[in-house]
Amino acid sequence: MSFVPIGMSAVMRLEWRRLRMRPLGWVLAALTLAWLGWNFTLLLGSFLAGQIQRAALPDGPGFTDLVAVPLLGQLAQLAFLVVPLLTMSVLAGERRNGTLPLLFATGVPASGIVLGKYLATLGWLLLWLALTLAMPLLLAHATHLDWGKLAAASLGVALMLAALAALGVACSSFASHPAIAAAAALILALALWSINLGAQLAGINGGAINWLAMSTHEQPMLRGLVSSADVLWFVLLILLSLALATRRLDTERERG
Amino acid sequence: MPENRQLSNRWGRRDNHAMTTIIPEVPAAAVELVRLGRRRAGRPAVQDLSLSLPRGQVLGLLGVNGAGKSTTLSMIAGALRPDSGSIRLDGRDFLEQPEMARQWIGWLPERAPLWPELNVIEHLDAHGRLRGLHGTTLREARTTIIERLELQPLARRLAGVLSQGQRQRLGLACALLHRPALLVLDEPANALDPVQVAALRRLIREQATAGTAVILSTHLLAEVTAVCDRVAILHEGTLRHDGPVHGDDYAALERTFFEIAMHNQHDAARAA
Repeated sequence: MSFVPIGMSAVMRLEWRRLRMRPLGWVLAALTLAWLGWNFTLLLGSFLAGQIQRAALPDGPGFTDLVAVPLLGQLAQLAFLVVPLLTMSVLAGERRNGTLPLLFATGVPASGIVLGKYLATLGWLLLWLALTLAMPLLLAHATHLDWGKLAAASLGVALMLAALAALGVACSSFASHPAIAAAAALILALALWSINLGAQLAGINGGAINWLAMSTHEQPMLRGLVSSADVLWFVLLILLSLALATRRLDTERERG
Repeated sequence: MPENRQLSNRWGRRDNHAMTTIIPEVPAAAVELVRLGRRRAGRPAVQDLSLSLPRGQVLGLLGVNGAGKSTTLSMIAGALRPDSGSIRLDGRDFLEQPEMARQWIGWLPERAPLWPELNVIEHLDAHGRLRGLHGTTLREARTTIIERLELQPLARRLAGVLSQGQRQRLGLACALLHRPALLVLDEPANALDPVQVAALRRLIREQATAGTAVILSTHLLAEVTAVCDRVAILHEGTLRHDGPVHGDDYAALERTFFEIAMHNQHDAARAA
């Protein structure tokens, strides 16, 4: 079946083109990168100011702990707002434009439509991550980077972006209006992040409620610890969200 | 690519003998609807609809608002799955092979939905890729259709700023880009000026002469007498009339249409 990838790649190219042409994508990229750039400068200034005191510590935190990883942490925080805004129109916008039936009529399966749109959005988000990462990497020749820790944190943020994007696409597939999709994705993402807040406050660090929370799986990676269980959690969330979106589109094609 | 199209492309080049060996003696209809049914909003929108359309013929689909024309066209175009019955394209079950829609069917829905942030060329490219065209083939097809529909002055204009008539022409270009064997047009003359309507009629006849089967849904009886070979009248989701259009016999068509529409109104009044 060579058709599925052909249809999917056409949908992906179409969505990528739409992302590039919509001012929202550019405005979000410009504002967030400016914000991250400003924070990078502040983090770097603070790092340089405390360098003499840290020199006395044998295993003191370095550039990666004090500048690169906190910068990625800020990107992760921004993602809660940026990803829903970016994904809100992915399918809800098509529905509103009346262009969703056009995609159905090309014979591309619902999975191809969802995957094509998801991959285009993910491409934009990974580019955003790469541009953010470029800031600390530009100083790699002048400082000592902990490559392992940076790679683990980058993987954690990349997985988080991928999961939020999948959640956003799923919300967009159910919503009749992009704004509803954005609100739903934001609320779900925040709920998923802090679902274990009560348990944490009560001093409970295990159990299903902690396993469900995104923070449980993201924070170890930001500290440099990659476990297959955490990676699997993100993969499961992505697969579940995309499967729901696919199911929704299939139902829409069935029911009209 | 459909088998017959591949063969016809070879015609006159090097293996004409293949035509006699592969094409069946009785060519299948371009599209055949068998007892098609579909419910919408809890009521039957289309019921038990059977129709067949050979290549090169233009079928006018007439009906009052809510007669089930758009639902029927959406099902034929592959955008909506029927609840019952089957659709056969060139003898093959379309519902079993929905990917056939990719190259076989060109569809212009009502009000030509477009992506407002893409310009005319980007639209054609996107539609071409979705229909399986790439590289030089896509560029050539795009150039041809832009010239044919006189879209050159609009080529770089965003779809979001096009007038309704221009949107309609772009929608038509997208439907024709991949040279479909079946063209499904839902109210294509909407918002077109009289000059553009005349051009549209010429284009439809041109497509039919080239062997494309065309289904044209319209409210305008004059549209049917001007371009269609056959007319089917839908009322309350069922097929009430299917017959040839006799030249420009507008009066006969009008009489048939109103008989069907008014007869049902009388029935409804009597039932009330």
